[in-house]
Amino acid sequence: MVRGGEIGIGTCLLINGTPHIVVEREFVSPGKGSAFARVRAKNLKNGNVITQTIKTADFVEDAQVDLVDCQYQYNDGEFFHFMNNETFDQFEVPVAAHEDRGPYLKEGETYTIVMWEGEPIDIKIPYKMVFTVVESENYVRGDTVSGATKPVTTETGLVVRVPLFIKQGEKILVNTESNEYVERVNE
Amino acid sequence: MEVSILQARSRMVTATRDFFLSRGYLETDTPALAPSLIPESCLEVFATEYVHPTKGRRPLYLIPSPEIWMKKVIAETGRSVFQLCKSWRNAESVSRIHNPEFTMLEYYGVGLSSSDNIRLTEELFAALATDETPPQARPPFRVMSMKEAWHEFAHTDLDALAEPEAMREACRERGLLVPQDAPWEDAFNILFLSFVEPALPQDQPLVLNEYPAGIECLAMDIPGTTYKERWELYVSGIEIANCFTEMASSDAVRAYFASQSEKKRQALVPHHIDDSYASIFEHFPPCSGVAVGFDRLLMVLLGKRSLAEVMLFPFESFPETEQASLETLRNAAMHDSW
Repeated sequence: MVRGGEIGIGTCLLINGTPHIVVEREFVSPGKGSAFARVRAKNLKNGNVITQTIKTADFVEDAQVDLVDCQYQYNDGEFFHFMNNETFDQFEVPVAAHEDRGPYLKEGETYTIVMWEGEPIDIKIPYKMVFTVVESENYVRGDTVSGATKPVTTETGLVVRVPLFIKQGEKILVNTESNEYVERVNE
Repeated sequence: MEVSILQARSRMVTATRDFFLSRGYLETDTPALAPSLIPESCLEVFATEYVHPTKGRRPLYLIPSPEIWMKKVIAETGRSVFQLCKSWRNAESVSRIHNPEFTMLEYYGVGLSSSDNIRLTEELFAALATDETPPQARPPFRVMSMKEAWHEFAHTDLDALAEPEAMREACRERGLLVPQDAPWEDAFNILFLSFVEPALPQDQPLVLNEYPAGIECLAMDIPGTTYKERWELYVSGIEIANCFTEMASSDAVRAYFASQSEKKRQALVPHHIDDSYASIFEHFPPCSGVAVGFDRLLMVLLGKRSLAEVMLFPFESFPETEQASLETLRNAAMHDSW
C-alpha cells in the first residue's frame, strides 16, 4: 500500500486489478477541503491514461514490481523484443501499450524493464540519451537569429529541435523527459 | 532582482486600498500572532511560542487568515472592513500556486450577500486590471452553480448523490478509487477534482456558486436546499477567492466548532481553539466576506504562470537549513550565554 501523499511520478498503482504507472501528479487542496493528490496514470496493459484523485492521508494499493536490466533487440511492428541480461531469456512487450517509448529504443542498448507478476509492464527510459542524427535539413545561410533551431530525426525515428550547427551523422545528447536537445557529443 | 515585481505589487496594493477606502470600508490591521484559532480541519498552521524571560512559555500561532480578528471588529463596530496582510499555511506542498507564507486580501461587506460580492469583486478586478492582464482574467465573470457544473461535466444530478454511499458509487461507476468508508465530503472531492474541476471553462473568470452543505464551513445555508451561500472564483483553472454569506447564528457556529474540533484531532499541528468566538455572533450584522489569495490575484492579472514570478523571495528560493546545523547553532548559543 502507498499513501496518497507519497505517490510520485513513476509510482506503480494497482487500479481495479491492473497496473498503472503515474505520469503526472499534482497536489490540490480544494477550498475548505483536505489535500489530495491528483494523478494521471497510464494503464500498462493498454496505454490508456486515466485521472485518479487520492486523499494524501489515504492508502491505495500499489503494484509490487521488480526492475530487470534487459537488452533491446528489435521491433517487429507489433512487439518490442528484449533479452534479460542475466538469464538471456527473450520476451516481447506490446508496442500498442508503449508506443511513446519507441523513439527512445536503440538496438543493443540496455533498458530497465518493470516486471509485475513476471510480466513486463513498462520500459524505463534513461533521463538523458545519446542519439545519431540521420536526417537533417541544411540551414539557410543568413538565418542567424540567436537560438534558432531546426528539427532533425535520429536513428530511432525521434524528432528533436536542435541548433542550426548540428549536421547529419553527428551525435547529440537528448533529455528524454522533455524531448529537448542538451548538447552535441564529440567522440 | 526584478524591481518591476515590487512596483507592480505596490501599484496593486495602492489600488486595492483606494478601491475599498473610497467605498467606505474600514481598513483593519490585526495581529499575525494569535493565542487561539478557529478549528478548520482542512488547514495546518504554524505554531510558535512566546518565551517570557522568567515565567515560562505560552503557545502562539501564525494566523492562517485574519478572519477571526476581522469578525470581532465587525461585531464591535457594525462596519464593513478590509485587510491586506500576511497569512501562513503549513503542510501544503510548495508549488506553482502554493507558498507557505502569502498575502491575503479579505473584505467583509455589512448588509451584503455573496451575490453582491460577485459584483464587487468584478469591480475590483476591473480596477486592478492592467495592459498585461489576459482576457481570461478580465471581468465580467461567468457564474455557474455547483449543481450546473456537475450536470455539465459529470453528467449527473448532484441532488441525487446526497447520501455517502450514492456519492461513493458515483465515483466507482467512473472507475475512481474511493475508500469503502470515505465520508461524503471526500467522495465528493474525489469526483469533483477528477472530472468537474479540470473541465471548468477557462476563457473568462468563473464563479462556482452554491456549494453543497455537506462541505462544512462558516457560510449560511440557502433555506430549503442542501446548498450554502458560498462561491469560489477560478481564474485560468486556479482558485483565487472564496466567499460566504457569513453564518450569523451563534448556535450554528458552535455546532461547526464542535464538528471541526473532532476532525481536527488528526491535525499534524494541534492548536488552541478560541471558545469565545461563537459568542460574537449573538449580535452580528448580516454580512458577506471574501478571502482572496493576493499573490495569486497578482499572478493572474499580470498574466504570469507561477507565484515565484510575483514574489521577490519565494519559499523555493530559501537555502535549505539542515536539522544538524540548527543543533549546532543552539549549542553555540548556549555555550555563549554561559
